[in-house]
Amino acid sequence: MVHVERLSHSFGQHFALRDVSFSLEKGGFLFLNGPSGAGKTTLLRLLHGALPVMQGRASVAGFELSTLPRRRVPDLRREVGVVFQDFKILPERTVLQNVALTLEVRGVDPGAAERRVRALLASVGLEDKALTPCGLLSGGEQQRVAIARSMVANPKLILADEPTGNLDLDLALRLMDLFKQLHTYGTTIIMATHNREVMAQVPEAQVLALRDGRIWEGQIAGQIAGQTEGQTGTAQAETSRADGKPDDDGQAWEDGA
Amino acid sequence: MGLFLRLAARGLRDLTLHPWAQAFTLIAVAMVSLLAGAFLLVLANVDRELARAGGQIQAQIYWRPGANMTQVRGQWEDIRGMEGVRGLQSFTPDQALSALSNALGEGVDFAWLRTQNPLPPTAEIQLATPPEARETDYVKAMVSRLLALPGVDKVRLNPLQTETVRTWIAVSRRVLWPAIGFLALVVGLVVGNTIKLSLLDRRDEVEILHLVGARPWYIRLPLLVGGFAQGLCGASLALVLLKMAQTGVREILNFPPLFIQIGFLPLAQALGLILAVGLVGAVGSYVAVRD
Ligand SMILES: Nc1ncnc2c1ncn2[C@@H]1O[C@H](COP(=O)(O)OP(=O)(O)OP(=O)(O)O)[C@@H](O)[C@H]1O
Ligand SMILES: [Mg+2]
Repeated sequence: MVHVERLSHSFGQHFALRDVSFSLEKGGFLFLNGPSGAGKTTLLRLLHGALPVMQGRASVAGFELSTLPRRRVPDLRREVGVVFQDFKILPERTVLQNVALTLEVRGVDPGAAERRVRALLASVGLEDKALTPCGLLSGGEQQRVAIARSMVANPKLILADEPTGNLDLDLALRLMDLFKQLHTYGTTIIMATHNREVMAQVPEAQVLALRDGRIWEGQIAGQIAGQTEGQTGTAQAETSRADGKPDDDGQAWEDGA
Repeated sequence: MGLFLRLAARGLRDLTLHPWAQAFTLIAVAMVSLLAGAFLLVLANVDRELARAGGQIQAQIYWRPGANMTQVRGQWEDIRGMEGVRGLQSFTPDQALSALSNALGEGVDFAWLRTQNPLPPTAEIQLATPPEARETDYVKAMVSRLLALPGVDKVRLNPLQTETVRTWIAVSRRVLWPAIGFLALVVGLVVGNTIKLSLLDRRDEVEILHLVGARPWYIRLPLLVGGFAQGLCGASLALVLLKMAQTGVREILNFPPLFIQIGFLPLAQALGLILAVGLVGAVGSYVAVRD
């Protein structure tokens, strides 16, 4: 599902990401870990085409990013749900409208979109806020809007950038259940997080630790309670497969446009 | 289709974001369209006059004021019988006077002039060049023959048949397309820039739409519809103004021996103008929001 080979990215002189390689099969779960400024967001942005791949290779959901023409970026993004660290929701629009946006751009009929969104809002605990403008929500509530939006179109892959950063532990764990549920249904998930309790929720997950834009091997061993050997990012990196072949599993949400 | 309509409706709604900017754009588009419409109107009327003359040459004959009407009436009959003359409409000074006061409108009454009418008797004739003669020679001969008639003051060839008019038509045909192109450019720029405002206003939304997988047309379509609508409204407004102006001046040339009624644009041209300005607005927006 995601294959990254010697991926680097620099902003001017500064390398935010350097020589990162890893591989995540379909249905896998990967935690991105590392201190602030390590390059987690940069990596996630590269993976959904928000930054151009200039050095190295990355293939996501069958799209070879280094050669992907701009006009095909929307096709990639339709396979990928993203929870942005800064949410990227529209404050003057309601919760319902924000979440439905993902379906709207796919041409889903508004009635069907609303039913689907309302069902999902219940599972993130926002059913009462459906008609509230997002600007009036608390940080944690906005974060849940962003999470709901990333899931609503049944993407093959979810990229979640600190999705529990603004939530108390109880709520964080509840939302982790949601991610775990999608994971058991076969959704591939990459999640950036600092939170060890959150990471402990998915003991079978791979972990990729970054520091100053590089994979930081020293950090990996014994990082998560109950983490088994051979599932760390570097272990996977050695067997990385970046053949760029499309995964031919069925597309969950048809393109109505 | 539902999606298309939703996006189109969004485009129209977005026009209300900057009412002042939109209003100024509307006025600018209307003024430019008015210019184009007036140009077309003149051309259409010239064409209509030429068609009315049917390729024949017309001449107006003016007698001296106060000419002896019995003599003049006899001359009208003689002229009618001349070779190459296809028709003759005559006007006594009284007829000319009442036609003139009709043309000038209700409030004008020249009854007080009846007794000392300053207008001359006139006649308008249609000439058809006989097949064996050269047109210019024939016309020249005919003009001097008419001038030789006693009491005739001057003979004027129909202005629409003169060289100046032919030249004018040729020139306007030549500048027609460059002028239309220039006006279209102005409309496109003006509309495009206002539409850009809507885009800037929705910058955050556009960014998010891109991030959740919207294709470019999804973002552009509402803007194109907005530009199209501005073009349509501006051009329609212009046509309303043009119609008002045309109604005001319709009868101004409608007196003997001109009898030119200034008509409005043919329906097809009016609709074509509206549609064309609309399309130019859409293209202008497309160019303005192209990334
Ligand atoms: N647009 C940008 N222009 C210049 N530098 C940038 C830009 N985005 C990120 N950086 C730099 O790249 C480095 C990595 O940033 P990144 O946002 O990927 O870190 P992060 O791991 O997500 O950190 P955090 O945990 O705080 O979110 C940082 O040093 C940051 O300052
Ligand atoms: Mg970050």
